[in-house]
Amino acid sequence: MKSPARTPFGAIFQNEVRINSKRIAPYFMTLLCAGNGLLWWGWGPATGHGWAVNADFFIAGALPVYSFMTLPLFTALFMADPVLKDFRAGIDPLIFSKPIRRGEYLLGKFFGNFFLLTCCQSAFVLTWFVLQAVPKQGVITQDWKVVPYIKHFLVFVVISHLTLAAFYFAVGVLTRNAKIVYGLGVGFYPLYIAYQTVLLNSLPWRWKLALDPLVMNRGGKFHAISAEVMNHLVVVYETDLIVNRAVMILIAAICLTIVYLRFTIAERPPKVEELSVLNLTAGAGGFYYDPPITEPLLVERFEAHHSREKELLPSVTRATAGIRAQLYKLFAALEVEFQLLFSERSLVVIMPLAIFLSILEVAFYNIPPDVSHSAAYATNTAKLLLLFLIGITVFYTGEAMHRDREVRVEAVLWAAPAPNIVLLLSKFLAVLSLTVSLIVLVGLAAIIIQLLRGHTPVDISAYLIVYSVILLPSIVFVTGLSLVLNVLLRDKYFAYALSIGTGVGLVYLYNQGHNHWLYNPVLFNLWTFADLSGEGSGRILIHRCYCLALAGMFLGLAHLGFRRPSSRGIRVDGKLTGRAVALLVTIVSALMSLLAGIRVSRW
Amino acid sequence: MLNIKELTKTYASGIQALKGISLEVRSGMFGLLGPNGAGKTTLMKVLATLLEPDSGAAEMNGINLIVDKHGTRKMLGYLPQEFGLYPTLTAEQTLHYFAKLKGVHDKNERAALVDALFDRVNLTDARRQRVGGFSGGMRQRLGIAQALIGQPQLIIVDEPTAGLDPEERIRFHNLLAETAGEDAVVILSTHIVADISSLCSQMAVIRQGAILASTTPLQAIDQLRDSVWEATVPREEIAALKSRHQVISSQMFGGLARLRVISKGKRPSAEFSPVDPVLEDYYFDLVNQRERAS
Repeated sequence: MKSPARTPFGAIFQNEVRINSKRIAPYFMTLLCAGNGLLWWGWGPATGHGWAVNADFFIAGALPVYSFMTLPLFTALFMADPVLKDFRAGIDPLIFSKPIRRGEYLLGKFFGNFFLLTCCQSAFVLTWFVLQAVPKQGVITQDWKVVPYIKHFLVFVVISHLTLAAFYFAVGVLTRNAKIVYGLGVGFYPLYIAYQTVLLNSLPWRWKLALDPLVMNRGGKFHAISAEVMNHLVVVYETDLIVNRAVMILIAAICLTIVYLRFTIAERPPKVEELSVLNLTAGAGGFYYDPPITEPLLVERFEAHHSREKELLPSVTRATAGIRAQLYKLFAALEVEFQLLFSERSLVVIMPLAIFLSILEVAFYNIPPDVSHSAAYATNTAKLLLLFLIGITVFYTGEAMHRDREVRVEAVLWAAPAPNIVLLLSKFLAVLSLTVSLIVLVGLAAIIIQLLRGHTPVDISAYLIVYSVILLPSIVFVTGLSLVLNVLLRDKYFAYALSIGTGVGLVYLYNQGHNHWLYNPVLFNLWTFADLSGEGSGRILIHRCYCLALAGMFLGLAHLGFRRPSSRGIRVDGKLTGRAVALLVTIVSALMSLLAGIRVSRW
Repeated sequence: MLNIKELTKTYASGIQALKGISLEVRSGMFGLLGPNGAGKTTLMKVLATLLEPDSGAAEMNGINLIVDKHGTRKMLGYLPQEFGLYPTLTAEQTLHYFAKLKGVHDKNERAALVDALFDRVNLTDARRQRVGGFSGGMRQRLGIAQALIGQPQLIIVDEPTAGLDPEERIRFHNLLAETAGEDAVVILSTHIVADISSLCSQMAVIRQGAILASTTPLQAIDQLRDSVWEATVPREEIAALKSRHQVISSQMFGGLARLRVISKGKRPSAEFSPVDPVLEDYYFDLVNQRERAS
């Protein structure tokens, strides 16, 4: 019998895994899931209630929640374009000219991506499994367990996402439009919550369980039973649950069957035909014409074009010197950087995810009012948002800095008379604007939640103070640091690895008590709202100046280390060269950060 | 006029890409002909301010191309051998962007220039299409359009017709010929001899980082007048003829071979008849001479 790995299905399956392993999303998702597992283990509900983190009921109870949080977005991201990308890259004729059946192709695509998705999702349970060996104060661990992790993961996560994945895959293949799938991915949360509250809420428990695709309604009243009893509870799957899971698998099979029946390898006709409307008579509605008949042939058009008298290009006024001209170029470059940054498809997942997780606590938990409700809301969201802002800044700075080389526009762009600072600053400001827009969105969402929960009055100034004093300078610093890392290391993956490694190392040190203002530029765990308005405000402002001076130094260094050749020497035609100005900025910023640093080091 | 003096460049890998290149290039179309790896792209990159040479000088209109990079970029239009454009931008957005970077700030002037450029490169119908969906020829035409923005005095086009179909190649030739008529120095680097013969008024042959000759296509062809011969011979005679004469090309068909040889002032043998020389003959003759000499 032929090994499945040697069949066309196996080849496509393996190829999908190989292609996806070169994308950033699987690694990001794996890290996120593992981090999520770590948080649930050490700081989750089990620690507060005396539940064992590897108790059967706890694993079975936590996995549907894990399945709900964040994962549907990643399922949409993975399943939107496996087939579409073959058509986009033009590989489809090469694949379909081989002796491969439609079913083998589609199943290879689907299961290749679903396998990888499941592997990434499993990082959560793998982390839990490994952490059974790690002792921690307040964390109860029973004897080693293996089967519950596998069993509950398959039942509560894999089957739920199999259905979602099949649905997203079907929509992606049949519409050949990934954006629709991303839209469905983003729309999952409001739709699911509305489905729960409007439809399922009024039904009996059995129906609630049977009709819930993520089986979120299965949980009982754990808090009413003692932890001792709960820890020895053995989870048995009810008939309703088994029916639910069987129906989910059936729905997935139906989706895949529809895809199989409707999928065509043929090229789609152009979207719109040209339409001319005859206005001479009232009765004439319109008529279609076939472009090849009425339009001249390409060759004729070409000859006609070149037979006419040559026209000179219109002369234009050019301004290439002076601050005004450079500012104009900066705005032009910034406009393009914006367009390119906002066309990054990963933003469709990351932005809603960051907003959702940043407002999670203020939306669903009771936040004790600090100075005021607004201060508590602003402080809580800022602390949660900060980690996302750092991640987003590091990732998108890397993308922006290496995009020109990756799309091979670098040579054309670098030959243009735009100074290096325009090219660098446009990327810096574009990433900064992206993070600022995220801060604004989170702030707006927090204010809306504050109003909805009746925690009034809303004090806008509390949000403004927290976000502008804590978040903004921190992000300027991180963007500057990422910029210089990408310039000097010349490899974005190296820069990502170094940034993640340094970030994780610093957070570990901070949590171990080695937290000092001097080497904590983002003020992680070093401030409260009271510090921003009371006596501590001077200290924070000096620290912010220290942080901004360092960012200025990074920008100067990035300019000096930028690979694009620049004019030699200090002066050309009596004017300072860009390199000389960058050197000056670097020295001044370094001196300022040194002075502020000396002050900060004494605290 | 562009003056290049003793340019040298050795890469970190030890490859000596430029071995003291010196050239004088007047206004009009200048062809730089050479095989792959001859050093053409390195020279183009040095002139386009994208690569620092180890030594040497290049000067045009009083601007030192090696020292004053920003000054050079103000008068430069560059189309690299391999380039891409932002796939998510439309052709119109792309040209407006490069026009702004070249300092064309007036909105009306820029719009008129972009319109004229689209007309010139015959892309008016595709101006609102995303560049990511363009064919190779369309992308190449958009590339030359961005190079023409702002009346550049030095236009560098590196291997512009490689990979284009015959129709696109002719279209591109016409475009370059129109461009060259506008008082600019246009340097066309290519390994396709036909590109030089149909476009350039001046040319140089580069090989292994050194200039073998700098002349005009007409002078080059004149040097071989009455020296190129052709004959159809049986296949088994090829080896003997090759040992006696400088064979430029041999083309097989039906058991026979059509040989093209260079023999200055003397018929190689009775079966050979004289033919008009072409630029390709000059190129092969030059390369063969250098190989024999070395």
